[in-house]
Amino acid sequence: MADIGSSGVGNSRYPYYYGPEGRLLLVDSALEAVGRGSTTVGIKTSTFALISSHIKPTKPLVEPSEKIFAIDRHVGATGSGYIGDILQLIDEMRIAAQKYRFTYDSPIDIKSLARQLSSYLHDFTIYAVRPQAASIIITGLDPAGVQLYQVDPSGTYFSGSGFAIGQYSDTAIDTIQKEFTEDLTIAQAVQLSDRAIEKALGEKPLVERGLVTAKDATFKKMAVDS
Amino acid sequence: MTTIVGIRTKEGVVLGSDRRASKGFFIGSKITQKITKIDDTLAVAIAGQLSDADYMVKLVKAERNLIELRRGFSVTVKESARLIANQAYTGLKNYQPYFIELLVGGVDQEGGHIFVADMSGAITDEEFASSGSGSPIAYGVLESIFHKDMTNEQAKEIATKAVAAAMERDPGSGNGIDVLTIPNLSLVVKERRR
Repeated sequence: MADIGSSGVGNSRYPYYYGPEGRLLLVDSALEAVGRGSTTVGIKTSTFALISSHIKPTKPLVEPSEKIFAIDRHVGATGSGYIGDILQLIDEMRIAAQKYRFTYDSPIDIKSLARQLSSYLHDFTIYAVRPQAASIIITGLDPAGVQLYQVDPSGTYFSGSGFAIGQYSDTAIDTIQKEFTEDLTIAQAVQLSDRAIEKALGEKPLVERGLVTAKDATFKKMAVDS
Repeated sequence: MTTIVGIRTKEGVVLGSDRRASKGFFIGSKITQKITKIDDTLAVAIAGQLSDADYMVKLVKAERNLIELRRGFSVTVKESARLIANQAYTGLKNYQPYFIELLVGGVDQEGGHIFVADMSGAITDEEFASSGSGSPIAYGVLESIFHKDMTNEQAKEIATKAVAAAMERDPGSGNGIDVLTIPNLSLVVKERRR
């Protein structure tokens, strides 16, 4: 493994450049940080998409941070990783969505938004700066239908029907993969996402959720139940 | 070249305008929409360069959406007028002024508001206002028949009369009247509950 400040093999003096295995240490570290973030999932069918994120318990008098964000009327997002980085990326997306409206007089399509976020994140991988330690799941409705995207610190973005990021995301995505069907109802998807997060954490978690449906073009945060 | 009027009532705000767009001594358009909705609670009536006003409206739309998403509650009419004024002022000081005078009309938790925002970056809070080449005539009508505690329906009538009078004598105004009413939030909520 490459490691900062060791004997001088490869590019350990330049941790922002390729390491001996052709990996980017800083990007790997960012992904590592995301892997310690709160468990967050997204599920999509042709009629709706649901995003759901675990809220880690805080001190009794402290309100936990918001995890589900409205990006524009028709777009919502959530993330896992450093909350400060997530908030920054959320704001980038909100600005991108409004700029798109300003330029084209129409709401941004989800792929363009994912692409722009990807480009923003990618910039942090080519210079000697710290990549953003946050993966983002974006959902929304556009003329092409209900959309679900995941964007990683490397700038990689995927479209798909089920995503899980953060702590124990492997377990969470396993649960979703096993039980996912295209004819899932919203209630079933809520249950499935809850189960995925619960199984990963081994306890009944507090989650925040957001939903967009093909019928109603507005992204809505769902009421938090304990 | 235009006549626009704005009236604040106990029930909300009313904006009125003519429909003529002038190109010098020529009538460029007879169906110009000079009242633009920014959303369900805010609208502007435009006097001056249409392109500058359009740009300003788009900017306010974007900023209002962004602010609301960030802070979680809506932007007041006063804040929106200030947003326009700041932009106008920046333009003026950079020798690239926005050639506009806008009547910013809308409703928020406090009720209805009419603000006049001009190219200098000044904003004034008014009970009723008019702008454009026909405004001296419109003001004549408004000053003589405006009164407090009007309903939106009454204000609509007065706005129509003011613009109609201006269209009779101002060559820069004409080709029909548009009126927009924005009811107070409390009225809208009551109607929805029924």
